[in-house]
Amino acid sequence: MKDNKVAIWIGQKDLNHDPKFMEEAGNEFARIPLDKMAESSTLEQVGATRRDFLKYLGFGLGAATVAAACEIPVRKAIPYVVKPDAIVPGVANYYASSFVKGGDYCAVLVKTREGRPIKIEGNDLSPVTMGGTSARAQATVLELYDVNRIKGPGRIADGLVSDGSWAAIDKEVIGALRPESKIRILSNTLLSPALHAAIAEFSAAYPNTKLVQYDAVSSAAMLIANEQQFGMKTVPDYHFDGAKVIVGFEADFLGTWISPIEYAKGYVKNRKIEHEGHATMSRHYHVESHMSLTGSNADNRILVKPSEQGAAIAALYNEIAAQTGGTRVNAPAGLNEKATAAIKAAAKDLLANKGASLVVSGSNMVSEQLLVNQINLLLGNYGKTITFEHASKQRQGDERDVARLIEEMQGGQVDVLFILGANPSFDLPQAEAFNTALEQVPLRISTNSHVDETTGRCHWGAPDHHILESWGDVEPKAGVYSLMQPTINPLFDTRQVGLSFLTWAKSAKLSTGDQPYHDFIQELWKENMFPHQSEYSVFQAFWDHTLHNGVFNAGGNTEPAYNAVDVSGLQVRKPAGEGMELSLFETVNMGAGQYANNPWLQEMPDPVNRCVWGNYLSVPVSFDGWKTIEGFAGLKDGDLVNLTSGESSLEVPVIQQFGQMDNTFGIAMGYGRTAAGRCGNDIGVNVQSLVQIDNGLFQYYRSGIQVSGKAGREDHFACVQYHHTMGVKTLDKNGDEINADEAALASVSIPFFKKTRRGFQGALTDRSIIHGAHVSELETFLEELHEQREEFQHLNAQSLYPDYSDHYSRGHHWGMHIDLNACIGCGACTVACMSENNVPVVGKHNVARHQEMTWIRIDRYFYGDFENPKTVYQPMMCQHCDNAPCENVCPVDATNHSSEGLNQMIYNRCVGTRYCANNCPYKVRRLNWADYTTADLWPINEHKINQEKVQFYADDLTRMVLNPDVTVRSRGVMEKCSFCVQRIQEGKLNAKKEDRRLLDRDVRTACQTACPTGAITFGDKNNPEGELTGKFKSPLNYIVLEETNVRSSVNYTVKVNNANEALDA
Amino acid sequence: MRRLVLSSLGFLFALALFAQDNIDEGKNLFRTNCATCHNKNMKDKLIGPALGGVEERWPNTEDLHAWIRNSQKLIVDGNPRAVELWKEYSPTVMQPFENLTDAQIANILAYVNDVFTAAPAAAQTTATGQEGVPVESNSKNYVYYILLIALVFLAFMMSRVILNTRGIVNAEASGEVPVKPSFWSMFTNRTVIGFAIFALIVLGSYTTVKNGVALGRQQNYAPDQPIKFSHVTHAGLNKIDCQYCHDGARRSKHSIIPATNTCMNCHRAIKNGSTYGTAELTKIFVAAGFDPNTDKYIDDYESLTNDEIAAIYKKWIGNQYMETAEVASLDADGTRTVEEQWANIEESLTSDTKPNLQGPIEWVRIHALPDHVFFSHQQHVTVGKLECQQCHGKVEEMPVVRQYSTLSMGWCVNCHRQTEVSSFGDNNYYLDSYKKYHDELEAGKRTGVTVEDIGGTECQKCHY
Repeated sequence: MKDNKVAIWIGQKDLNHDPKFMEEAGNEFARIPLDKMAESSTLEQVGATRRDFLKYLGFGLGAATVAAACEIPVRKAIPYVVKPDAIVPGVANYYASSFVKGGDYCAVLVKTREGRPIKIEGNDLSPVTMGGTSARAQATVLELYDVNRIKGPGRIADGLVSDGSWAAIDKEVIGALRPESKIRILSNTLLSPALHAAIAEFSAAYPNTKLVQYDAVSSAAMLIANEQQFGMKTVPDYHFDGAKVIVGFEADFLGTWISPIEYAKGYVKNRKIEHEGHATMSRHYHVESHMSLTGSNADNRILVKPSEQGAAIAALYNEIAAQTGGTRVNAPAGLNEKATAAIKAAAKDLLANKGASLVVSGSNMVSEQLLVNQINLLLGNYGKTITFEHASKQRQGDERDVARLIEEMQGGQVDVLFILGANPSFDLPQAEAFNTALEQVPLRISTNSHVDETTGRCHWGAPDHHILESWGDVEPKAGVYSLMQPTINPLFDTRQVGLSFLTWAKSAKLSTGDQPYHDFIQELWKENMFPHQSEYSVFQAFWDHTLHNGVFNAGGNTEPAYNAVDVSGLQVRKPAGEGMELSLFETVNMGAGQYANNPWLQEMPDPVNRCVWGNYLSVPVSFDGWKTIEGFAGLKDGDLVNLTSGESSLEVPVIQQFGQMDNTFGIAMGYGRTAAGRCGNDIGVNVQSLVQIDNGLFQYYRSGIQVSGKAGREDHFACVQYHHTMGVKTLDKNGDEINADEAALASVSIPFFKKTRRGFQGALTDRSIIHGAHVSELETFLEELHEQREEFQHLNAQSLYPDYSDHYSRGHHWGMHIDLNACIGCGACTVACMSENNVPVVGKHNVARHQEMTWIRIDRYFYGDFENPKTVYQPMMCQHCDNAPCENVCPVDATNHSSEGLNQMIYNRCVGTRYCANNCPYKVRRLNWADYTTADLWPINEHKINQEKVQFYADDLTRMVLNPDVTVRSRGVMEKCSFCVQRIQEGKLNAKKEDRRLLDRDVRTACQTACPTGAITFGDKNNPEGELTGKFKSPLNYIVLEETNVRSSVNYTVKVNNANEALDA
Repeated sequence: MRRLVLSSLGFLFALALFAQDNIDEGKNLFRTNCATCHNKNMKDKLIGPALGGVEERWPNTEDLHAWIRNSQKLIVDGNPRAVELWKEYSPTVMQPFENLTDAQIANILAYVNDVFTAAPAAAQTTATGQEGVPVESNSKNYVYYILLIALVFLAFMMSRVILNTRGIVNAEASGEVPVKPSFWSMFTNRTVIGFAIFALIVLGSYTTVKNGVALGRQQNYAPDQPIKFSHVTHAGLNKIDCQYCHDGARRSKHSIIPATNTCMNCHRAIKNGSTYGTAELTKIFVAAGFDPNTDKYIDDYESLTNDEIAAIYKKWIGNQYMETAEVASLDADGTRTVEEQWANIEESLTSDTKPNLQGPIEWVRIHALPDHVFFSHQQHVTVGKLECQQCHGKVEEMPVVRQYSTLSMGWCVNCHRQTEVSSFGDNNYYLDSYKKYHDELEAGKRTGVTVEDIGGTECQKCHY
């Protein structure tokens, strides 16, 4: 029996009752022993000594006295000379645009203030992302203000771009190009039709030009398979919303795979419970070894080793084929028994839902992709859940072309190489070969924004604009277009890459206007898009309308004939049998390393392992069947091990990962950049070279690896999973289970209290934090839940104080609803919140000290089987309790309650006693331990991350991202989620100005608008017609820690799963 | 007796004020109606005749008033003085001013007379002012001071008596010769020193706290601005709406300091200032790159050097000088005027951080709230329908703008406590969101809803 009485847990530390963790859980703040600080290599970070303190104190008093006598400094108020019509200082403008990075796409609205972009919102009009965003899209606004961006064109030497001019570089390039020159352009997936057209113009001038596209995390096999089978080299359009049964083979479609925002939106449609009476939801099987974001959301995870993936696919195919009359395929032996049984069950479910199911695979083997296609074909899913009309263009790369390019370069057959946004010197598995071959190319020009690993090896830098400075168009799916428009004048002397190619091609289509690339795109649209619509007869009207909406839909592909393919000869990968295996994967925040220099993404915890600023080797945990959970080879989180694969050996830190299959390991790619910039350099370990190449295609796994025992400790192991915990249980002296944070309570020696300890409020051992149920048992479960809640409410109503619920009935009463069935844990809300509320970035060292500042965290809980558990993600932010315990303990009334039910935090009153944080049962209050945003007077309080020279947020460029409507907090001040009070105020004012009632759309919090799945609803509880009121009526709702009588304003829904319970997990 | 003196003083003061009021109104009327054609020194001809001594030249006041209201009518009627004037100035017709009342015309004439006779009326008023108002308050204070001194003296006497008595009593008890306590010992005994220290601490703390609270406040702050922009001329005399220039007030949290191109809306036509002539107005031309000589914006203005710019505008100032002084070429006086004006323009438009003349005008900010305060003009102007003057004072009467209110938190909160929400009964937002209050109002349970009642004094209304 693997399950024990523990219903839900956060990690091995609480299961093992780790005494150190238990103590930590009982304390709000991590204790940092001073002697340990002195030992640490970053002593200089400690900054002030006692002597310094006294000096500053003295100076402070003196300064205050002098200041009192002095005149107030003269401040200037500088208006425009000619005020742009569109800008009213103090009022935000929104522009529809697109976020694009390689194949990543999101239709966005860019919020600008006084002409500078400060926030990204989703564009509701887009048929692809439908208003959703991702963490990557949210963070792009910070990338614009990256101080490491190349400031202008020039010659590259020693990692610097020397002063050059566009005239000089154009002369150099045009001078070097001959009509017969062999030119190669290397990029990741290019989604812009205009850029493709510009390159075509360039190719017309130089016929020996070839565009080579690749993706570091490749879907090439799928492209090839679809080309073979359907004659279309494309990723099809998956309709997750039409699938009642989903089987995923390693494809992280909720996190990183191809178009996660779109897929998550569709997926969640069948996961939300609308009626509890006869609740239905889709069933999701996921076949993998390492727990991915998608796998963690699945109902059943089927554990197979990476090398068994092929066998698993073949097994599923054979099961399906046996029932539908397909030909059998050669399934290699070696698939583990449990998985074989589970695949059978999955096949049964699939067959019961023909035409309403979906099988996807992240495999990069053509044979396996063909088998997956065949499975879908046999299930009749083509034309229903898989179509080609709007086939996705978000992955177009084929790494076989890169291999060919390397050969050509090696052979001296390439005269000029243009690098277009790609970073092959870092992210190719054969980066070394690439670098050597690169030396053979006589002229190398990079249009990248940073002097990255590849650009540093080029001759010339011709930097492209950031997307927020660019004109552009995007075709993420066939016939689905969106536009990109500049929201700020270029910050540096950069030029759009399309314009560069047109210039170098001396194209006739190059206009002489102010914005030639804009004119070029307009001309293209006039030719290609304008005829596809009938609404507008004048092009300008059509253009203005499209630019305003940001998106345009034209007809797509015609559906191909869904041909079957002969599978009999297909060979899938052979299981490697015994021995350790490693899977390599992409994380939500880091991609293949292209997001490395973005501190918001570095500081956002990885949703699954919850580590920040680095990649960690996931090692499996095992349960001794009685009481302890132990990591592989006794490893603890943050231990260093040697990961050996063939000749190469890497020293990597480990994290114990529940759900990691026995004898398998996983590590994220995209880390270990050496030339990313001040924030991204030397973060994590570079594992790109561990990617194998098989038949020219990248394979993201490795068998025959060795993981050593403990070889050291990481300096600052930073994982937020055990920070700010609630309801952790421990054992008292008698072995009785108690709450860790009430260990002190248990030691009370008065017999009466001892007896009643379990009875009184706030000291219940079974705290209501997560409620979960299987969909089939939902009704019974809800009855119990309601009974329990009634009891809580009854007890809560027993009060000596007069009832004050009437207090909030006059105006608004703000509340929030979070649907745990919709939350997939992707973290978009975390980054959106940092962006909206000027939440500081603290760096790895400080996260390791429990000092992260995020206002919204996504708690990860496990339940079920220890070795293959299910996961719940719970977004947790200030609950704005109407009976808030933090408010009572503040000695200076810096936190108090508004008549609209907001728990107000007043920074300029706060003196930093931290009593409030200590008294918060949800652990959502954050103290500014240092002056992270350089808001206060004393430079000594400033804080540096990642050994940078200038403090992050200290330079004027980075500070441009700050939201002017939110105070920048200084050191020693407590902060927390404000329910985006600035948006509430703005929304109310807009309603008043327009002389109308307040609508739901007036006030939407940053986390709510960022969420791709609509898991978060914010609104006025007093508005009977509001969306929130409807959601608050759901019988699935519960309040976290309702028994403590803090009267939280946030409702959560019960997490429901639809696991196939016949399976072990 | 003193009463009589006071009341007569008061009467005189009021009278003087009244006269001054007439002249002030006359001045305003003159500047809006007459100054276009009549020279404001009243001695020289402009388009129309010099007005100094006009009353003597007309046989009676009725005719003069009739002439001002409609000169052509008087000419047709054959009034001899009117015909005489028509002969001299024909074909220039004096514009009719039929709306002016007798009192207004009298005021204008009073002003004309005042200027012509060069009687320093202004000096008069200040003098009376000094005599008038302070007398009363001084006399009150004076009484207090006398009382205070008397009390202190009494206390001193009493303590001396007590000490003496005690000394005698003590001496008698011990049988010694009583020693009269010295003057010095009275101030050096423990009680007095203790009391003095206590008083010092209390006073010191009070002053420290009081000044500490006021730290950073700048009520009545009225710095010199780079341009001597007068709200009296713009908002007062010409009655330009505040929100014509400060157009953010109704739609943004900022009221907005107008961009230079807002000035140019009018000053493309009005190129000579009523008070300073070319001295101040040229600054906005320099900032915006408008060449008043040619009435055109200068092409590629950004790339001009300061010297090139100087040449353009010195020419303009010189031309204007020659036109006013009616000289054909720039005399010594003129050259000096040009150089002086230009030096001032250069100083006003450049700073350590802005070496170029072109570009935005760097005004000195007067109203500045701390960063942690959120304040929205549109909330107060558009929704609350407040007059600008309520917080900013009568700016239309301020030649140099000063901060009228303290802009302290107490000031904000007080107003929020006292003010009723003006549009509570008719704005649909309030009607929908605050049903309970509306029910109470209807039932007569409450008389009004103040800003405080809808959360206007809660922290996160302004601090977030």
